[in-house]
Amino acid sequence: MRTDRDGDDEPSRNLSSQRSRRSFLATSGLLATGALAGCTSILGSNEGESSELTVEDFRGSSPLVEQRGAPGGTSIEDLPDLSGELTMYLGGGESGLYLELIDLLEQIYPDFSVEHQRESASNLANRIAEENRAGSTPADVFMAVDAGALGAVANEGAAVSLPAETLDLVGGNFQDSEGRWIGFAGRARAVSYNTNELSEGDVPTSVQAFPGTEAFRDSFGWAPSYSAFQSFVTAMRVIQGDDTAREWLNSMQDLGVTTYNNEFVVSNSAADGEVAAGFANHYYAIRVQSDRSDAPVDLAFTEGDAGALVNASGAQILDGTENQDLAETFIRHVLSAEAQEFFATQTFAYPMIDDVEPVGGLPSINELNPPDIDLTELSDLGGTVDMLRDVGIL
Amino acid sequence: MATGDYDRVAEQTEGATTEQTASGLLSVVAVGITFLVLSPLLWLFLRAVEIEPARAVELVTSSTTVTVTANTVVLVATVTALSVVVGVPLAILTVQTDLPFRRFWTVTSALPLVVPSYIGAFAFVSAFGPRGHLADLLAPLGIKQIPAMYGLPGATLVLTLFTYPYVFLTTRAALLSFDGTTVEAARSLNQTRWQAFRRVTLPQIAPGIAAGALLVALYTLSDFGTPAIMQYDVFTRMIYNEFGARRIDYAAVLSWLLLVMAVGILAVESRIEAGRDGAYISRRSRRPGEIRLGRLKTPALLFCALVATLGLALPVGILLHWLIRGGIGYSATGQSFELAFAWNSLSVAAGAAAVSVIVALPLAYLAARSDSRLSSLPDRLSYVGYAVPGVVLGLALVYLSLRYLPFVYQSVLLLVFAYVVRFMPQAVGTTKSSLLQIDPGYIEAARSLGYSPLAAFRKVVLPLVAPGIAAGAALVFLTTMKELPATLMLRPPGFETFVTYIWQVQDAGYYGRAAIPALVLVVVSGLSMVVILRRERYNAG
Repeated sequence: MRTDRDGDDEPSRNLSSQRSRRSFLATSGLLATGALAGCTSILGSNEGESSELTVEDFRGSSPLVEQRGAPGGTSIEDLPDLSGELTMYLGGGESGLYLELIDLLEQIYPDFSVEHQRESASNLANRIAEENRAGSTPADVFMAVDAGALGAVANEGAAVSLPAETLDLVGGNFQDSEGRWIGFAGRARAVSYNTNELSEGDVPTSVQAFPGTEAFRDSFGWAPSYSAFQSFVTAMRVIQGDDTAREWLNSMQDLGVTTYNNEFVVSNSAADGEVAAGFANHYYAIRVQSDRSDAPVDLAFTEGDAGALVNASGAQILDGTENQDLAETFIRHVLSAEAQEFFATQTFAYPMIDDVEPVGGLPSINELNPPDIDLTELSDLGGTVDMLRDVGIL
Repeated sequence: MATGDYDRVAEQTEGATTEQTASGLLSVVAVGITFLVLSPLLWLFLRAVEIEPARAVELVTSSTTVTVTANTVVLVATVTALSVVVGVPLAILTVQTDLPFRRFWTVTSALPLVVPSYIGAFAFVSAFGPRGHLADLLAPLGIKQIPAMYGLPGATLVLTLFTYPYVFLTTRAALLSFDGTTVEAARSLNQTRWQAFRRVTLPQIAPGIAAGALLVALYTLSDFGTPAIMQYDVFTRMIYNEFGARRIDYAAVLSWLLLVMAVGILAVESRIEAGRDGAYISRRSRRPGEIRLGRLKTPALLFCALVATLGLALPVGILLHWLIRGGIGYSATGQSFELAFAWNSLSVAAGAAAVSVIVALPLAYLAARSDSRLSSLPDRLSYVGYAVPGVVLGLALVYLSLRYLPFVYQSVLLLVFAYVVRFMPQAVGTTKSSLLQIDPGYIEAARSLGYSPLAAFRKVVLPLVAPGIAAGAALVFLTTMKELPATLMLRPPGFETFVTYIWQVQDAGYYGRAAIPALVLVVVSGLSMVVILRRERYNAG
């Protein structure tokens, strides 16, 4: 077990060791604006033209991104063409950004089109389960921001295994053990904190130390109904056992925690100073910054424990599809050099293939030292919901 | 007694058998409709029995369940009471008094209904939250802390502001169908204005008030968005968490509990309605004379303005603020707003409204024209669908349609059916309260002139209940426009509406980009409202 990580007392392991965290987010705020602006121009300029897109089109433009080298991995040019129509379920708010990638692919392949539906990842997983029970789902592919939702669909027997050559592209931590889903972008758990209220060293490197941190007293936020938070608690239960997790939840409550509805709001409230800090996925603070460049918010990471969990956005092919080949080729495209560059630079996610780096300033996945855990195990949130309800959080 | 009147009519007319056939047919139709709108409960049953009985008992008796049930009851009670306190005076002011700009205040009083709760509640938090705009304004004055508006007070306030129009509209419909000479008669008998109101007006409009209050109570019960944003723990949140954890069987058991609460609310409302003595005295020869407000004019205006400011100006103002502040163009969502989304919203809402009023008529007629408990059962039961949270209804229809009618899955047909299940009770309520005010003597007269029951209904009843039907159509239309969870689950592929678009940008945290479609939604709903109100007025003569 990993209890040896308790009371981990290493110096604050966060972005300040590489550069000022303040400046990291200041730059990435710029990046966000730049990326969005860049994207608009791609879509605008390519209308009606034949579509020879380059890596630059997937990357968008910003000062930070200009310093990046060419991404490694297989280029779209070397993949089989996409042709035909795919029906796709897109789960989760961020999935809207994935539509831009799909747009780019549709530009490259005039014979390729995607019919999509967006909803929350959990709702879609429930819906696929019901569709499967009643017959089969009309969708070919499910792309979701939460590996737990993909795992649930796989466990329902509603997904088929992917070919080995696709599974080989991504590390074993970020795919189903039976190959029924594969990750294409990583989302790290992080702490958003207010830079006016806290200094860099105030955020402990172990989540177990959070309840004893006086700087957080009556000034800490979380979103316990949000799936990523529940996955984090599930990870804590898996790694350290139910008793430790329960005790931790209780002592966090004793500290005085404010409950929010989602983690964007947690990060936003940290920026507003409504709380000094809060748990949120790593990109939410970047979002807040991209909305308000002067917001005093920054990111810190814990190390090696559930607080450093890296979850995956992933894709799977649904049972009963009549477009399996097309779906497989599509997923290969999502793992291409260009698409991975897109996820890294436009959604600030962690790329899933070797040779594509996350945006500057973010620690690499290896540096984060995430816990060694099978993400499919996180699909069973039932026990976590029971526990959260038991201790009075949900 | 009403039945007495009606029986007498039946006896006196020659075609007593036609009468019975018609009424028998009506019952069959009403029962059929009820079965259809309750069919989604079959799915809830199938899923609920999958849970181990011991776990189900544990779940239902857990301390959280008990606390959350108590929270929910308190919220439903406070919101309903406050909605009556706000809605009834506004209806009276805009129908019966010489309030200046009555038409204007009628529209502003009805409009908060078009603001989706997920926008209204956000607006309130960003205006009055601990770090909201109000706090920013007060900060230079040295005021560091403003009272927290989260929890029960905040949830009550926000829900009241966006649901009281139910009471306003149903009360208004009752007042419009109401015969003013009775008030004048009371006044001429030296009753004070208050006495006349209490003894004459109130009993007449009580069914209308009750119909609106019922809608408020059931809406509050089934709403997830507002309590979640206001951080108040209610039943829907528990259900939502189970769906999030993908334990559909647990969610199904909790949904049954919610439905039990809904039935409880319906029982309470039935009792209020049972005391509707004198409901048929109306002759509706003409509208009541205007009440002169006199010195009360200023407070009345202030009251209308306050409600309009909080329920309408504030959310619109916050949306405008988002629009100005959110400088990033909204092409970055991957999909920009298209006019087709507006058309989609409008057409499904119009479809749902049309089907709902047609379907509601037999249920309302049966319930209004008979005092037997059995006859009002279809009407009562149809309300249960209104308390089913959208996400539950959505999943139920996904399964049931694919299983039994696969060709309707992901069609507009199924979507409209879902809206009818959820929102048709709104039309039942308003139609019934209008029907209750019709003197059976009119039908008697028509029948004695040789009209068949159907013709008598068409020539006499229908024109008189038009205000109630119009109000019902308006309610269904507006709530359909803003319905989110079932829409997300059941819309055909590529079919986006105002709310699905708003959800897509808002869920990704891009509030600024939700502003334009949200404003368009409010404006379009508002315009529809104006059209409907105008029509209602015309029909009311």
